[in-house]
Amino acid sequence: MQITLLQAVIIGLWTAFCYSGMLWGIFTNRALVLSFGVGIVCGDLKTALQCGAIAELAFMGFGVGAGGTVPPNPIGPGIIGTLMAITMDGVTPESALSLSIPFAVAIQFLQTAIYTVRAGAPESANNALKKQDFAKFRLHSNLTILLFALVGFLLGFLGAYSMDTLSKLVALVPAWLLKGLTVAGGMLPAIGFAMIMSVMLKKEVVPFALLGYFLAAYLGVPVIGIAIVGTVFALKHYNDAGNVAVAQAATEEVEHDDWI
Amino acid sequence: MTGSKLTKKDYTKTTLRAYFLQNGFNYSNYQGLGYALVMYPAFKKLYGDNPAKLAEELDNNCEFYNTNPNFLPFITSIHLAMAENGMEYDEIRGIKMALMGPLAGIGDSLSQFCIAPLFSTIFASMAMDGVAIAPLLFLICENVTLLAIKLVMGGYGRRLGTSMIDKLSEKMGVISEAASMIGVTVIAGLAATFVKMNVAITFSAGAIEEGVKQSTVDIQAMLDKVAPALLPVLYTALMYYLIKKKGITTYWLVLITVVIGVALSCLGILA
Repeated sequence: MQITLLQAVIIGLWTAFCYSGMLWGIFTNRALVLSFGVGIVCGDLKTALQCGAIAELAFMGFGVGAGGTVPPNPIGPGIIGTLMAITMDGVTPESALSLSIPFAVAIQFLQTAIYTVRAGAPESANNALKKQDFAKFRLHSNLTILLFALVGFLLGFLGAYSMDTLSKLVALVPAWLLKGLTVAGGMLPAIGFAMIMSVMLKKEVVPFALLGYFLAAYLGVPVIGIAIVGTVFALKHYNDAGNVAVAQAATEEVEHDDWI
Repeated sequence: MTGSKLTKKDYTKTTLRAYFLQNGFNYSNYQGLGYALVMYPAFKKLYGDNPAKLAEELDNNCEFYNTNPNFLPFITSIHLAMAENGMEYDEIRGIKMALMGPLAGIGDSLSQFCIAPLFSTIFASMAMDGVAIAPLLFLICENVTLLAIKLVMGGYGRRLGTSMIDKLSEKMGVISEAASMIGVTVIAGLAATFVKMNVAITFSAGAIEEGVKQSTVDIQAMLDKVAPALLPVLYTALMYYLIKKKGITTYWLVLITVVIGVALSCLGILA
C-alpha cells in the first residue's frame, strides 16, 4: 500500500508525541505503543501488533536506559519496521525487526547528539536567571523536549514519506537474505530476555527460571497464568519477610505501611 | 523570612511536575535544569515577592542532578518542607544530594527492570495473540503504577522527612526480591515461547522404493522429545553467558545473532 501525505504527517505527530513521552517517563516510546499508532493510521492493526510485540520483547532488555544512558531506540522497529512490514510485500514482522535495527542504532546516536548539543543549556539558563528573566529560564529548561518533539516528527514523517524509496531499496535485498533475516528476527528476542536476566537473575531466583520454563514449554500455560504462579511465590516471600521484620521490630513502634 | 506558606496542593503540584524532570536533559548537568523547573511554581510561591532570591534559588538548583523521576517527589517534598521552614539551600543541599544516588538505584531497578518488563511481556504476548487494545492496556497499567509511586513518595517525603530513607531501602529490598521472582518466572517462560528456532533438516530413512511412502527423520521433532523449546532456551542462555560473564555489548550480540540467523538459514539448518 501507499502512504499518503496526510498519513505521513499523522505518523510524524504520533512519533513526536511518543518520543517526547520518553523524557516524561510515560512509556510511550516502546515498540508496542509506537507500532500501535502506525497500525491504526495505516489500517493494518494486525500486522502492527505482531511487529510491536516482537520488537517489544527484543528491545525489552535494552529499550530503556538506566541512569541517563542512551539505548538503541524502539522507533527503529516500532515506526520504520512496522511501516516496512505493512507496506512491503514479502517483509515479515520478523524480517522487519532485523531490517530496522540500523535505524534503531542511528536514532540512538541522534539522541546522544541532542543531549550533547544541549550541554550549553545550563549556561544559557544561568544567564537568563542573572537578568531575572524567568520566562527565558523556563524556555531553556524545556528546550530538550521541544527538540525531541521536532526530531520525533521528522523521523516519523520522513520515514513514512520515504517508504517508496525504502521499499525500492528493500526490493534489492535478495530473497535468501530476507528469509535469513526472518530467522534472525525470531532469534533476536533472546538478547532482550538475556539482558533483563543479567540484571534480575540471582542465585536465589534460579528455581523460578526453571519454573517459568516448565510452565511455558511443558504445560503451555499462557503468560498471565505464568505471572500468577510467580505472584503466588512473590506474595509468600513478601509476607514471610514482613513477619520476620515485625518480629524483630516488636519492641519498636511500627509505622503503618500503606504505600503498596 | 519566607513568604506565604505552602499548602498540600503545592506539594502535590510539585510531585506531579516530576514528569518534567527531563524536559531540559543535557550532558552537562543532566536533570539539573529539570530539577529547578520542577520546583519553579513552589519557589515562586515561597520567594515570589523577591525576584532576586527566586533567581538565586533557581540557579542553585540548576546544579548537576540525576535520579529516578518516579522517586523524585520524595526528595522534592523534603526539600520543600525544609525550605518552607526557612532553611537555606546550603543546609538542604546535603540531603538532596545524599538521596539522589540511592533513590536512582532503587527507582531505576524497580521501574525499569521490574515493573516495565513485567507489563511489557504480558501485554506484548497479548498483542501477539491479536488483542488489539493490548498496547493501550500496557500504557494504562504502566502509568497508573508509576503515578501511584510518585504520589506515595511525595506524600511520604512531606510527612516523614529524612528518617524514612533507611526503612524504605529495607522494604524495597524485599519488594524487589518478590518482584524478581515474578519477573524471572515470566521471562523464562517467554524465552521458551517467543524465541523461535526451528531445525529444518530432515533425513530420509530407508531406501527409496516405488510406491512406498518414505519415512523421514525430523530433527526438530526429535529435539522436541528431548525437551520442548530446547534451542531457544539454550540460545538465550548463551546470550546470558556472553553478557554476564564475557561482558559483550548488545551491539555485538545483535550483529552476531543476525549473522548466525542468516548463515544457518542459508545453509538450510534453521527455518
